[in-house]
Amino acid sequence: MKNIIKFLSFLTIIVSISCQDVVDIPLDTENPRLVIEASLNWQKGTTGNQQKVKLTTTTNYYSNVIPKVSGATITVKNSANVVFNFIENGATGEYVCTNFVPVLNETYRLNIFINGQSYSATETLVPVASIVNIAQNNRGGITGDRVEIKTNFVDIPNINNYYLYKYEYENTIKPDYYTDDDNLFQGNPFFSISRKRDLKTGDKMVITHFGISQQCYNYLNILLSISGNQSGAPFQTPPATVKGNIKNDTNFENYPLGFFRMSEIDTKTYTVQ
Amino acid sequence: MFIKKIIVALLLLQVLTQIHAQEKFTISGTVTDKRNNETLIGVPIAIPERQTGVNTNEYGFYSISLPKGSYKLIVNYSGYEMVEETITLDKNIVLNLKLSETEKKFQKAQELETVIIEKGKKINLRKPEMSTNRLTAAQIKKMPVVLGEPDVLKSLLLLPGVSNAGEGASGFNVRGGAADQNLILLDEATIFNSSHVFGFFSVFNPDAIKDLKLYKGGIPARYGGRASSVLDIYQKDGNSNNFGLSGGIGLISSRLLAEGPIVKNKGSFLVGGRASYLHLFLKLSEEQKENTLYFYDLNTKLSYKLDPKNNLYASGYFGRDVFGLAKSFVNTYGNATFNLRWNHLFSNKLFSNLSMIYSDYYYGLNLDFIGFNWDSGIKNYNLKYDFKHYLSDKFKLNYGLNAIYYDFNPGTISPSKPGSGIISDQLDKKYAFEPAAYFDVEQELSKKISLSYGLRYSLFYRLGQSTENLYANNNPVVFNTNAQIYEKAIPIGTRFYDRNEILQTYNYLEPRFAASYQIDEKQAVKTSYNRMVQYLQLISNTNSPTPLDVWTPSDKYIKPQIADQVAIGYFRNFGENKYSLEIESFYKKIQNRMDYIDGAELIANRAIEQVILNGQMRSYGLEMMLRKNEGDLTGWISYTLSKSEQQTPGRNATEIGINNGAWYSSNYDKLHNLAVTSSYTLNKKWSFGANFALQTGQPGNFPNGQYSYEGITVPSFSLRNESRLPMFHHLDVSATLTSRKNDNRKWKSEWVFSVYNIYNRKNAAAITFKQNAETASNEAVRTSIFGIVPAVSYNFKF
Repeated sequence: MKNIIKFLSFLTIIVSISCQDVVDIPLDTENPRLVIEASLNWQKGTTGNQQKVKLTTTTNYYSNVIPKVSGATITVKNSANVVFNFIENGATGEYVCTNFVPVLNETYRLNIFINGQSYSATETLVPVASIVNIAQNNRGGITGDRVEIKTNFVDIPNINNYYLYKYEYENTIKPDYYTDDDNLFQGNPFFSISRKRDLKTGDKMVITHFGISQQCYNYLNILLSISGNQSGAPFQTPPATVKGNIKNDTNFENYPLGFFRMSEIDTKTYTVQ
Repeated sequence: MFIKKIIVALLLLQVLTQIHAQEKFTISGTVTDKRNNETLIGVPIAIPERQTGVNTNEYGFYSISLPKGSYKLIVNYSGYEMVEETITLDKNIVLNLKLSETEKKFQKAQELETVIIEKGKKINLRKPEMSTNRLTAAQIKKMPVVLGEPDVLKSLLLLPGVSNAGEGASGFNVRGGAADQNLILLDEATIFNSSHVFGFFSVFNPDAIKDLKLYKGGIPARYGGRASSVLDIYQKDGNSNNFGLSGGIGLISSRLLAEGPIVKNKGSFLVGGRASYLHLFLKLSEEQKENTLYFYDLNTKLSYKLDPKNNLYASGYFGRDVFGLAKSFVNTYGNATFNLRWNHLFSNKLFSNLSMIYSDYYYGLNLDFIGFNWDSGIKNYNLKYDFKHYLSDKFKLNYGLNAIYYDFNPGTISPSKPGSGIISDQLDKKYAFEPAAYFDVEQELSKKISLSYGLRYSLFYRLGQSTENLYANNNPVVFNTNAQIYEKAIPIGTRFYDRNEILQTYNYLEPRFAASYQIDEKQAVKTSYNRMVQYLQLISNTNSPTPLDVWTPSDKYIKPQIADQVAIGYFRNFGENKYSLEIESFYKKIQNRMDYIDGAELIANRAIEQVILNGQMRSYGLEMMLRKNEGDLTGWISYTLSKSEQQTPGRNATEIGINNGAWYSSNYDKLHNLAVTSSYTLNKKWSFGANFALQTGQPGNFPNGQYSYEGITVPSFSLRNESRLPMFHHLDVSATLTSRKNDNRKWKSEWVFSVYNIYNRKNAAAITFKQNAETASNEAVRTSIFGIVPAVSYNFKF
């Protein structure tokens, strides 16, 4: 919500009179750092038994290959010390669990052991409000001539909720993510909104709402803001080291990137009418 | 208590000097331009026999007391005929001087400019004043600028020690300070946002401006409230002889200014307006036709001379920017100021000015498609009473009082239409009161040594009604040792303060000092020190201020910024005063500079203390300015070598601070900053101007790696501001054609042709590192704002 304000206020004017071109800027590369994508999602109405953790490392900015990390031992433990094992699927850097038992508001602990280093994190499985419906507005967007998709929900009252919205479009490489908190609409009906410019009849999309913790919200906010970062722009904010909730217990300094997120989710698919 | 002491001291001084001055008489008066009765600021009045002199003040007044005798009085002011008067001082004399503009070798293009041409402006080697630059409207108008719009702030960027965050960025940075550390005064009223259209234009209409002075250091005690600099701008009073109309038609905006007498030689008015018509061009484009983007401003002033001892001035400014995308998004912001001033002469030695000032900054935003409405602003009521006491030719005393009441509205949120899920909300309003008292002495110790010293005592009260958050250990930001990040603390309670109840008090003594030593007729060394305290903070974590940024008063958690600056300089006039050279070096340190924790959200944040840590700033550098002051070719070369850094260490051993506690380059750190500006008068018809600017690239953050997370590519960064954008430079030229017909008619006109960035340098305003939407590969994309921009404008006057 607040990001929308900022985005609209400043970018439009800059873009409308400026010109852009691709330039060659040589960049340094730091030593590879472990990246842990431990995002456990539980779709409403399913068992949530199937879960996945991905391990990769950082690499040169211009490289087209993201290195995978194999050979790790990964477990997730609930508060009753029940252990769920994540087994690597070949040498893909993807570790899967097929017997996971999700429980709302339960606290889980992640343990990863690799290359003599041990990593850990704890997180709570956060509930999410159900998607009520999806509404299409053909006179939407800031200029009033765009197809706009609104995904409506009713905020869970009396608690501070944090949301991650994901819009995946057919034939589009990367999904769009937005974060939100219910600060301005506590307990009220609210919505997420598509921001893709050129939607047309027949376009398919998958919309997912995630319940996330406050720490995760802070983390994703920084992460999303720097993934489209401008350097030196007048309205640039300083990029941050995006540290997640996972700690290196062996060597504190050698912290990993990524996050241990546990979310209830609600997903809908939609085809533009 | 303190104020009492000062008053007693001042009274004593006065008594002493009166005893001392018994054999003395005073000559005083006002210096004006003969043509339009505009008072002239900073006119030097020299008494060669006594090797002394005095300059007119901001209201054109001067006074000097000398022993009984006969003296020659010489007034040699740039652009005006020299005046020599012989006076016999056996009683107090009032001598009002009317200066005539110099007959030029050619009827120059500057004919059109209503304000003096700063020529023969050699450095005053006697006065301890340093680190200041004066510009007149005439100079500003001569400089070639982008889109042909003369611009007050853009012209400042050509001075040593002044830079900004790049093309299209608002504000300016003085000696490595932030843009919010500049006190900008328009006829003594504080201006909170100095830019139109997010920084492309400044809010000051060059037609309505008489004179401006930028204090970068050695700031006199009468100014306070900002850490880095003071930009003091005076509007014209209006012509009290004749009615006149002047204006200009440009590509982006047009200006019109009317001035004239209300009562001949006694009262005058001035009304100046400026409006842009950018949005008309938008209408031409199919894609943009629904959008609007325009600004306008209005300057008004009434001056009235009640009698020789009393002058009244009322002046006002109103400016707005409106920016809308279709009907779903409308953004309006701007300043309004109104002020009433009364100049009174208690005696021919004691000049006073009482100002009552109201100033207001408004920011509004409407997002119809979300159903969101937002209003914010800051109002302030300012009372100033300043006295200038010309005790003798060697001793001048300034003193005064100042009190400002602030009313901040950080945000009113409301649903803009029925059915909107937005909840109406009023972010806690904030109130504050800032009184101050000062005195400032200008003293000539000997023929070679002059001093200026003063003290400002400022107080700050943060007032209710307000609810203050309380935190464990008074700590609104906590450090998460596990994740090694700073997080918001959760308040353990709140405390309610009733209306006008005091939440927090601060008070500081701000000493100011400057000294000059004149080595010989041609050269002098000067030094200065000043402490400045800034009680208002701009909540902003972007490179340059945005209109959305909210000002907030200091409180229990947000501490006032305290700046200490020392400077030394060498000054020389040479080549029969045709040339002057200034070399200065400075060191500035600012305590309590706020820094924001990673990922801090500042918009609509009702507990800003939870994302702020107190850090510090330092900057140091060397500035040089070589000027040619006279002749057909005038101009200057200025070069600054400087460093500006910021640091926010951990508050204890377990914390890492921001940026690992290390010093990092501030966003406005520019190692090299070179500017060359010149103007050349070829003949009666043509004159030319050129600017060249070259600066080290803006500090930035380039990724040192990437990773993939949840399907998106994330760049990773090392410490803050370790990379730099490419070097920034551009060359601009202008040519002014003055109509030949001007000689014999009242209507005078000129055409100004200009080319900005003549070799079409694509200066990077930003380098964006992003994934190409089609190839999915990462790339660096340069955004450049102005390529080569030709422009033409037409100015007239009758």
